[in-house]
Amino acid sequence: MKVSFKLNNKNVTINTDPMRRLLDILREDFNLLGTKESCGEGECGACTVLLDGKPVTSCLVNAVHIDGKEVMTPEGIAQEPLGKLLIDCFDETNAVQCGFCFPGFLVTSYHYLKTDGEKNLNKIKKALSGNICRCTGYQKIFESVMLACERN
Amino acid sequence: MKFIKPENIDSLLENLEDNKGRTYFLAGGTDLNVQIKNGIIRNPNIIYINHLSELNGINAANGSIIIGATTSFHEILESKIIRLHLPFFQKSLESFASPLLQNSATIGGNIANGSPTADVVPLLLILDAEIELSSKTRNRSIYLKDFFNGYKQNVMESNEIITKIIINKSAEKNFITFYEKVGSRKALAISKVSLAGMKRVSGYKITMIKLSVGSINEYPRRLFKVEDYLTDKTASEIDFTKVEELLDKEITPITDLRSDKEYRYHVCVNLIRTFINQ
Repeated sequence: MKVSFKLNNKNVTINTDPMRRLLDILREDFNLLGTKESCGEGECGACTVLLDGKPVTSCLVNAVHIDGKEVMTPEGIAQEPLGKLLIDCFDETNAVQCGFCFPGFLVTSYHYLKTDGEKNLNKIKKALSGNICRCTGYQKIFESVMLACERN
Repeated sequence: MKFIKPENIDSLLENLEDNKGRTYFLAGGTDLNVQIKNGIIRNPNIIYINHLSELNGINAANGSIIIGATTSFHEILESKIIRLHLPFFQKSLESFASPLLQNSATIGGNIANGSPTADVVPLLLILDAEIELSSKTRNRSIYLKDFFNGYKQNVMESNEIITKIIINKSAEKNFITFYEKVGSRKALAISKVSLAGMKRVSGYKITMIKLSVGSINEYPRRLFKVEDYLTDKTASEIDFTKVEELLDKEITPITDLRSDKEYRYHVCVNLIRTFINQ
């Protein structure tokens, strides 16, 4: 099936199996390796991307879902001013250890900053509750998002 | 494997007429993709429905709130109509999966998938929700309580699809409400036991009560016998040994990877007690 969508602000068209996972399309067809696979069941958030501006787990999104839609990956977000701000804040607070979960956190935090952005720990915790980090214990991640809210 | 993306609802219903073998509807995909990944479903025939505008959206009409089957949990949580008329329903769904899954998962999918742990079902049961099943030749509405008839089994014909969920506008009016989901963690928990309840109290007497449990039986269900016993009693008149006896008749707790029977039974009794004393 022919699938046309906007990927990181650029129009693209691919010919693919309608059931193919968005995660695989991004990694295999576009070499966008920032989107990671961990659980493959929507539980960990490592593969989070924005679909029409909303964060979703790309392991559970099929090619058919993205036809005519907009997809933003961690690579695209890293080019946006708010993405850059977040990366600086994650860096400053030493929030990243092994880094595997980080692209997913970047996407979800970016969405929070864009749609709400209040420096409120409970709201941030809730917004990031679909992303799992197995290294840091989350405190530093929350701190960096709080910092980004303050500077934004 | 066959994949169909119908142009509109009529073409979808037409396709269902010559539906041979098992066909899966793909809406949000949050359950179906996991089952495909784990090999529970192999080479499925799939009909994609998430793009059909006729199946999406929330409207108020003739005293009812009508939710299209492919409406996402995010849309329900953001809906002003739901906030105005069904605030308890909306608030309770905040604990559904995670914000990421709420953006994809749909209300019709959560019902049709038929999981014993489906979060939305116990809530819809105490709200006396109806669902509309459509085929090319007819539309019929049935109460959700009459929909399931076994583990992942339901009364839907092979040419039918869930199109709408219908809830009375005043379903929550003047009720004291209760919803507790017991799981291993806050986000993304698949519940071990959930209890949804609504009651009306006059003086100290319970004049009306509705209870439903999830994750206990093969599918979520109402506790009609317990409801009958509790009605027209004050908290001090209630004998909890009797409640346990009745519950024993109404639930057959399952043991699965998340919890065992005895635990589920006791938590269920305790949740009912908490709600009664509230």
